[in-house]
Amino acid sequence: MARFLIRSFISTVVTMLLVSMLLFFLIDIGGGDVTVKILGIQATPEQRESLRKQLGLDQSTVTRYATWLIGNDWWVPVEYPIISVTNIKTGENEYWADVNGQATRWMMEDGELFALQRQPDGSTVKEPAEVWQNDSKGEIFWGLNNANSAVKWVRGSGEVVFIKTAAGIREEKDGPSQYIPLSKGMLRGDLGRSMRTRRPVAVTLWPRVRNTAILAFVAFVLIMPLALFLGIVAGINEGKPIDRFISVTSLAATATPEFVSGVFLILVLGIWLELVPPVAVFLTDDAIFQNPEMLILPLLTLTLVEVGYVARMTRASMVEVMGAPYIRTAIIKGMPFHRVVIRHAIRNALMAPITVIMLHVNYLVGGLVVVEAIFGYPGLGNYIYDAAIFGDFSAVLAAAMITVIIAIITRLLGDLAYTFLNPRIRYS
Amino acid sequence: MSSKPVLSVKNVAVAYKIRGGEIEAVQDVSFDIPRGGSQGIVGESGCGKSTISWAIVNFLGSNGYVKRGSIKFQGQEMVGKEGEELRRLRGDQIAMVFQDPMQALNPSMTLGSQMKEVLTVHRNMSGKEAEVRCIEMLERVYMPDAANVMKRYPHQISGGQQQRVVIATALLTNPALLIMDEPTTALDVTVEATVLDLIAELRREFDTAIMYISHNLGVVARVCDHVGVMYAGEMVERGTVEEIYKNPTHPYTQGLIRCVPKLGADKASSVLYPIRGRVPPPNNRPVGCIFGPRCDYRQVKCEEERPALRQFPNGQSVRCHFAEEVDWRAWKPTADVLPPQIATKTGQTPILQVDGLQKYYTAQGGSIRDIMGLNKPRYVKALEHASFSVPKGSTLGIVGESGCGKSTLIKTIIGLEGSTAGDAQFLGVDITTHLSERDESTIRELQMVFQNPDSTMNPSYTVGQQIGRPMARFKTVPKNQIRAEVVKLLKAVRLGENYIDRLPSQLSGGEKQRVGIARALASSPDLVLCDEPVSALDVSVQAAVLNLLLELQAENETTMLFIAHDLSVVRFFSDYVAVMYLGQVMELGPAEAIYAPPYHPYTEALLSAVPIPDPSAQQKRIRLEGNVPSAISPPSGCRFHTRCPRKQLLSDNGQICETTAPPWQNVASEHHILCHIPKEKLIEFEPVIREA
Amino acid sequence: MTVTQPILGSTLPKRPSAIQRAWESFAIVFDSTVGTVGVAMVAFWISVALISLVWTPYPANATDFIQNESPTLTHPLGTDHLGRDSLSRLMVGTQVILVKTRLPDELFGYTLPFGDWPMPVGVAIWGVLGSLTLGSLLGLMAGYQGGWHDTIIMQILDALIAFPRIVLYLVVISAMGQGDLVVILAITITGAPGVARLVRSLAMDIKTRDYIRAAETRGESVWYIMFWEILPNARGPLLVDGMLRVGYAIFAIGTLGFLGIGLPPPDPDWGNMVNEARPFIFVTPWPVIWPSIAIASLVIGLNLFADGYREELTRYQK
Repeated sequence: MARFLIRSFISTVVTMLLVSMLLFFLIDIGGGDVTVKILGIQATPEQRESLRKQLGLDQSTVTRYATWLIGNDWWVPVEYPIISVTNIKTGENEYWADVNGQATRWMMEDGELFALQRQPDGSTVKEPAEVWQNDSKGEIFWGLNNANSAVKWVRGSGEVVFIKTAAGIREEKDGPSQYIPLSKGMLRGDLGRSMRTRRPVAVTLWPRVRNTAILAFVAFVLIMPLALFLGIVAGINEGKPIDRFISVTSLAATATPEFVSGVFLILVLGIWLELVPPVAVFLTDDAIFQNPEMLILPLLTLTLVEVGYVARMTRASMVEVMGAPYIRTAIIKGMPFHRVVIRHAIRNALMAPITVIMLHVNYLVGGLVVVEAIFGYPGLGNYIYDAAIFGDFSAVLAAAMITVIIAIITRLLGDLAYTFLNPRIRYS
Repeated sequence: MSSKPVLSVKNVAVAYKIRGGEIEAVQDVSFDIPRGGSQGIVGESGCGKSTISWAIVNFLGSNGYVKRGSIKFQGQEMVGKEGEELRRLRGDQIAMVFQDPMQALNPSMTLGSQMKEVLTVHRNMSGKEAEVRCIEMLERVYMPDAANVMKRYPHQISGGQQQRVVIATALLTNPALLIMDEPTTALDVTVEATVLDLIAELRREFDTAIMYISHNLGVVARVCDHVGVMYAGEMVERGTVEEIYKNPTHPYTQGLIRCVPKLGADKASSVLYPIRGRVPPPNNRPVGCIFGPRCDYRQVKCEEERPALRQFPNGQSVRCHFAEEVDWRAWKPTADVLPPQIATKTGQTPILQVDGLQKYYTAQGGSIRDIMGLNKPRYVKALEHASFSVPKGSTLGIVGESGCGKSTLIKTIIGLEGSTAGDAQFLGVDITTHLSERDESTIRELQMVFQNPDSTMNPSYTVGQQIGRPMARFKTVPKNQIRAEVVKLLKAVRLGENYIDRLPSQLSGGEKQRVGIARALASSPDLVLCDEPVSALDVSVQAAVLNLLLELQAENETTMLFIAHDLSVVRFFSDYVAVMYLGQVMELGPAEAIYAPPYHPYTEALLSAVPIPDPSAQQKRIRLEGNVPSAISPPSGCRFHTRCPRKQLLSDNGQICETTAPPWQNVASEHHILCHIPKEKLIEFEPVIREA
Repeated sequence: MTVTQPILGSTLPKRPSAIQRAWESFAIVFDSTVGTVGVAMVAFWISVALISLVWTPYPANATDFIQNESPTLTHPLGTDHLGRDSLSRLMVGTQVILVKTRLPDELFGYTLPFGDWPMPVGVAIWGVLGSLTLGSLLGLMAGYQGGWHDTIIMQILDALIAFPRIVLYLVVISAMGQGDLVVILAITITGAPGVARLVRSLAMDIKTRDYIRAAETRGESVWYIMFWEILPNARGPLLVDGMLRVGYAIFAIGTLGFLGIGLPPPDPDWGNMVNEARPFIFVTPWPVIWPSIAIASLVIGLNLFADGYREELTRYQK
């Protein structure tokens, strides 16, 4: 048993690493030019190039992957140790340099550096700073700027940079010549910053994850007992009309794409029968708590697709088990039929589908993307979809990683359940 | 015997509905079993013997039903009985034991809960009472550590113990009828012997009527008083065990007895006579006597009229028109079943020399330390110190129970596994390496015949393609002549040219095995390794295939290694025999020497375990205790010492066996025994079998 | 069993042709009611696709009719919000998934010589063929060779399987842009792990058979054993799996079309048709209903087909 569990644990870790690499490099190869999306198509090549540098996209892919995975706040070439501080107003995480106990950032004005010293109330005090260091090419300084990046200023170089603001694109002289956006890394719980908003992904992502988790959890709780029940009923009645009915219906339900069943449900329940509101507008991320009935249609859609799949799996396994010699033994021993099914068959019949069901959780997540898109549900799926369409590299990455982690953890749970159900592994 | 039989089967026919009609798996079977009686049912696969037992408990599946006749159990009609009434009888009054205990036990329930439920359901016992009763019953079937076994799962105990649990479960309610369907077929011969002893003993002590189904005449002779012989869905002969074996009357029964080698018979002095033809499929049975087309005594009447089962004054019943005229002793083989005379000529030049061959597999440990690689790696010592040489043109038979290393030995020689130490030479070429490192000519000279006819041929290719492949691969035959060469080989294995385009699914088991032999011979190898080539075949087909192998060997002067678990077959087929136990050769010598004293104590135990199809033969009863030890940590000293029934012959009860590896004793020319017991004492052993 | 034919190599019986044998092994599906219904549904859509190549009632992209019209005699399935004939669009919508693949003008910098000619056979089918090929190769290596081959291959496939499928599609398509070949690639990548798992388990079963031992003792190469001894015996389950996968592929193409990132215009796409007509669902439901029914019936048909075939296959093996 130890061997089995350790194996699946190691495999889980390796899988996650592989997935993250795969995801990172895939998106990196062809993520498209996110700068066009952010700055708009009228932006000049210089403006786009400047933004690329600010986003740290001029670093090598490997460097960025390492940053994303393990963070870079402990190895960027900044003179002072980097600390992270919570912004009092937004609650978001910020990076500051620890200059002799004083949280400090820097800015450049008219070719001179100023230190911004953080006060306990969150405001800053601006003071001239004499921190230039001699380098073979002149005087340089590695410090932190206002946008949570480690930056390199070169004295007198007067770099021109373009800053995207709400009002438009602002041109600035006195810019740094190199940016390294700071991150603590995935392994240390930092999901990164959205390229689109420059805010931590976690801030916008977590409410979405919560919403999706609610939807998925309710769906799971609805689907599993129903599907297992239907599968078992069909399985013990193999070949009879009830089995035919359950099998064909579940096949039809599974084979129908979510967007088709979703649209049909809107048509039938929403427009013709007027049982539920046909369009749900989720204005805020918390809308589902105010109007829980908005969950009905997404839930039904998910249930339709997923119940069929799990029911078919369970049926197949049940049919196989009911034909097994030990079931024959139980019947010949004169056990009542309900006892044969409940005590002898179900436990064995659940062993095979349980791993499949757990594997299927990522289909559920996949289905969620579509369902959320159909109903405009403010969840993780919609988040990925929006981010992918926009090309927001780091947001896609973070959100996709979360789906993968969910999928892998459920698979691990499936393995555990399998171990528990199967004495051959439990006692080996 | 009491007047009213426990079970009375009268003219029963069982049919299965299939698409576009139905097939009668059983036609017209009748027999009675009295209280305490035991009825054996013998027949080849597909003869319908299991179907009868399913009909008795009315468990024929959704498409089977009893078409005619009646089955009365204690006076109640069983045909058509269902629901609660049937359920109350099953498991309480009628119990069954099946072939494969591992399959018959629920893998995810403890043995205790599987046993107890019989009592809690049928006898309304409390769990506590049931527990006590189950432990008693387990002790009754000699299960060591019974209380502990109750808490275990099926995979945690050995096959023999599993079957004991199944038998104990069946006996818990003291049923009136116990049906056993090949209960020992999946077990090794020494385990089989102990289980058969148990059944025979229980039969005497419980008042249970037993219906015992088997394909093996010897097994039935050991546990039954009456036997019914089935052929193609009919019972062709019925009588007491003694009558049937001493005076078989139906030509099929006679054929069955003639086609198995007697233990101790060899190819030089005796001949196996196969039954010609094959069992007709259920949807295409002949009009007259079902056995007619295969019968030596066939007459016109046999083709026109189906004979009835007629009872004779001595109590024997025979389904034959000419039962009175058929004389078992006056039978003469007809030309088509008569094997050609084989002059055994074995050269003295050794073709294969094996010296201290060893094969270890790395064992996977289960603890965390094992996985981290902290513990010393452990090995499954599958084969150790194997030494022998095989002269050209002769056959070395290898016997031993499962796990004794005989398959590993063959795999190592043929190169499917590389050896880990030792030396092996084939015609002077080193063959200790894996196949991929051998040169093509060596590969070509070593070929193999496999056990399972259903998996020996690739279902996707025709017979011709599969026999032709080795010729194309080794380029022994020019491309355009391959087809002609294949036809030649087909003829050599007695198959017609029209087989060349058939797919394996169109062949019977025996035919597939012939094709397998032809494929092995296609590259004209010098050494053929036969891995249980006949053990999956029915006995009547077995004889024909054995004869074929003998003949081909004589023609081509092929050398053979012949693995089998059936000691009579090995004895019949081989010139030399090696007996293996737990990865080691224990005894090696000419075949006739192995089967008579002096024996190795293990050989002696094996021989005494073989079920002999002759109720009058005297067989010494030696039973091995315990299980075969693990090959990861085999016993020190002599590997057999943990189970050896003879070690008390040595001073201080065989202390030396536990500490020191035994020496090879040369008891006669070419006959070696690996044992501490001095050969003078070994020679004093009585022969295991004394024929009456 | 005795033989009485002395002449070698003459008057050999004719062996049934490969096509004949293939048809015979396929025809068992008609023994199953479910399977026959499935075949009929699939055959219906294939015929629609073939007919649409030569004839449609109106050009699929012609917008010169009344908008959002319910079914009439002139427009049996009605028109959509741009006044296009729904029947024509539905018919043409079958083409790219089933019978043709549009090639780009250039690929990896090379100009393709085909001009405007599409490649025969649709995107769904090419994608499935791709995943069957890749999956079989990986599955055979993992299943037959075992050991570290198995560990590495399965680890990578596990990683691919861990992705929610739609996320993988999103990533691939956002990485490579829209296009028929990209969709084929996406289907191949997402399908291959499943095929590989199937083939691996089949190979692990088949490799224990004696005929594999026989091939090994003949010293056959690993590749010969994998592709000539094992693969042909996996064809039944693979065929079933392939049919199911064509269903999944059409499912996925529809979903991508619905999300607006599927097959590129100008050909109509069922999923996209649903998406475009959805805002007008209160005006007229028909433009949403037809493509929905079409896609559901085609996928269900393929599933029924596969189910029926599998059932008969196992029945014949018994």
